[in-house]
Amino acid sequence: MVRDLYELKIGFIGAGNMAFGIAQGIIASGKVPAWNIIVSAPTMNNLPRFKDKGVSITLSNPEVLQRSRLVFLAVKPHIIPEVLQEISGLVSGDHIIVSMAAGITLQTLEQLLPSGSRVVRMMPNLPCVLLEGAVLLSCGSCSGQEDEVLLKSLLGACGAVDSGPEPWIDAHVGLSGSGVAFVYVMAEALADGAVKMGMPSALARRMAAQTVLGAGALLRDSGKLPAELRAEVCTPGGTTIHGLHALEKGGFRAAVLDAVEAATQRAQEMGRQQKML
Amino acid sequence: MDLYELKIGFIGAGNMAFGIAQGIIASGKVPAWNIIVSAPTMNNLPRFKDKGVSITLSNPEVLQRSRLVFLAVKPHIIPEVLQEISGLVSGDHIIVSMAAGITLQTLEQLLPSGSRVVRMMPNLPCVLLEGAVLLSCGSCSGQEDEVLLKSLLGACGAVDSGPEPWIDAHVGLSGSGVAFVYVMAEALADGAVKMGMPSALARRMAAQTVLGAGALLRDSGKLPAELRAEVCTPGGTTIHGLHALEKGGFRAAVLDAVEAATQRAQEMGRQQKML
Repeated sequence: MVRDLYELKIGFIGAGNMAFGIAQGIIASGKVPAWNIIVSAPTMNNLPRFKDKGVSITLSNPEVLQRSRLVFLAVKPHIIPEVLQEISGLVSGDHIIVSMAAGITLQTLEQLLPSGSRVVRMMPNLPCVLLEGAVLLSCGSCSGQEDEVLLKSLLGACGAVDSGPEPWIDAHVGLSGSGVAFVYVMAEALADGAVKMGMPSALARRMAAQTVLGAGALLRDSGKLPAELRAEVCTPGGTTIHGLHALEKGGFRAAVLDAVEAATQRAQEMGRQQKML
Repeated sequence: MDLYELKIGFIGAGNMAFGIAQGIIASGKVPAWNIIVSAPTMNNLPRFKDKGVSITLSNPEVLQRSRLVFLAVKPHIIPEVLQEISGLVSGDHIIVSMAAGITLQTLEQLLPSGSRVVRMMPNLPCVLLEGAVLLSCGSCSGQEDEVLLKSLLGACGAVDSGPEPWIDAHVGLSGSGVAFVYVMAEALADGAVKMGMPSALARRMAAQTVLGAGALLRDSGKLPAELRAEVCTPGGTTIHGLHALEKGGFRAAVLDAVEAATQRAQEMGRQQKML
């Protein structure tokens, strides 16, 4: 049973860009008022923009635990152990702890928190800061369907949200986390191609960015497979099919699969290194 | 000149015309009832009518009732349309052709001498108001017409202008480039599937990742290289992936693709001149 979201108290430990993006998404969803959200940070530096949105602010991590039921851990991975040590004694069976820390496994989180704690791992990506993120959730051993449904409902305005077993998180890092940078490289190369063909650099970059965004919008909103969309735009003998042939000759697809694989394997490796500590 | 009084027409009622018309209406600068669209049959006209746009089966009526006229028919239809309307084109009209591969020279040859002609190269995401549009003015249209069009089309996406040779590069980058990005999304998803993610989830996240990265690229005001440096944690997953892209010659393949598409556009333009 999903309780009335309007009464839900939400907290963030950590006040960086990702926390701000997620908080904005939650507020934008209209399901939780800003004053039911509290954020903590070690200094006041990053807190004013939260306050401007009507969110409560504090310099005390324990206060976040005391005033919230759903707590997002939004600190850098190497800070996680000390934060968990600090709050562990305040975590009850009512709390849902959601870690956004890259590379920190559910096993690690559950080891550093009281037995029976409801833990969820959340892998967002950078475009969450513009409410166009890709987020994957993975529930720990003591959290379940109800917590997942709650989170999906709250985070819907952040972008695409889904859930799965923890191994998918590493693939999600490769695809949607690092994938953002791979798309940056594509935009840069598209612009360079246009510059080679005589277009000035600033115009080429502007159009490349817009082309990437527009294609992404069509991919997301059309409900069709990329291959289907591609077939629709290939006029026989036209410019597009000439360009696509060049991509294939250059081994473009293989390079992209290699990139997702390499990034995913590095994520898996980092996860294994934790288990050995 | 008060845009609110401007009468706008479209010859052709396909998806691109609909997208551009929607963008113009969304700009709030021209009311829907000052726009008229023509097509050979009623098939595509109802959705325009639903938006408050006037509809007709007569191309000449569009010329008579509009000052700014978009030609939104397929390239092979252009010659017969121009022949049909040429006698009605005056010095007040601005004719904007969206037909791929039809040069300003061709348009000016088929219209009365002195006609104000602009070539416009949109791309498919215009249908979602996230297009990339390049304008190029003919010999008798100028700054005023360019400013007018940029103002009207701003809600369609990114709009800019330049000399006609840039149009071919724009076709390669923003026209065909959309398909190149489709291939990237497909390959990103395939990579995730290889690493254990189910296909439907991978495709959904790949599409969202492309869209989100595009939004950051557009709105950050920073160079792609700068954005890339910001997200490369030392020794992290991203730099491992980027190395694989470089090893695979990813960038070269993309430049090759834009070059090949642009050269094909240039070739098609030359073939016209020989007719």
